[in-house]
Amino acid sequence: MHDFLEQNAMYLVLIIALVIWAGLFGYIFKIDRNLKKLEREEQ
Amino acid sequence: MNNIYKIIVFVSISLVLVGTFVMPIPVIPGLYDKARIIYLHVPMSWIAVLSFLMSMINSVQYLRKRDVVYDLKAYSTAEVGFIFTILATVTGSLWAKFNWGSFWNWDPRETSIFILLLIYGAYFSLRSAIENPEQKAKLASVYSIIAFVTVPFFMFIMPRIVESLHPADTIVNSQGKITMNPLMLSIFLFSLLSFTLLFLWIVNVKIRSEKLKLARLIKINNNK
Repeated sequence: MHDFLEQNAMYLVLIIALVIWAGLFGYIFKIDRNLKKLEREEQ
Repeated sequence: MNNIYKIIVFVSISLVLVGTFVMPIPVIPGLYDKARIIYLHVPMSWIAVLSFLMSMINSVQYLRKRDVVYDLKAYSTAEVGFIFTILATVTGSLWAKFNWGSFWNWDPRETSIFILLLIYGAYFSLRSAIENPEQKAKLASVYSIIAFVTVPFFMFIMPRIVESLHPADTIVNSQGKITMNPLMLSIFLFSLLSFTLLFLWIVNVKIRSEKLKLARLIKINNNK
């Protein structure tokens, strides 16, 4: 396992960065969707 | 903004991350793999400058037309810009730890971005200190215009006139010739474009939420 992590460290970092980005994207997406709902209610 | 735009943002930022971490990079003496930070750090600084510029333009528009929507836009863009300035500072600081040995060295670049953070931090303090909405918008607009005057100086001029350890000539040299490797340059330009698209989406969400907040406030006041 240690050897695997040592040889593929960049890929591991990439996967972590992609997971964080997917989380952030999902968060902004959800805010956007909720805003749309509120805007419709306001009209 | 439609869902296709959001999917484009998601895919392009994901591709930027793939380009940052796994695409081959030419040997740059003294930097090596640490040069990969350029794909994230520089676009964040670019977004900071762009958002402060947008804030200044909206402030000018507010002073000309006295329409509160321009003030909301100026505030929203400044806030997003402030977050991106913090991100640029954090990414730069992480890079400094591995290249210079410590997170903070008071290098001219670090000092200038710190002063910029203080200047825009004061913008938000000023806004929260004034209760009268009209007076707040007026004073904040004037402050935003004055604050932007310092941005080109702190971002582009000061780090170049004072001796700095910060890598220079990495993209374009002093003669205006592109020095970056073509593959690196294409990833870098793609990253600039992707972060700009992300920025526009975040600003759009922020402005809409501020407009909604204002509409609710007006409704509550009318019902009183």
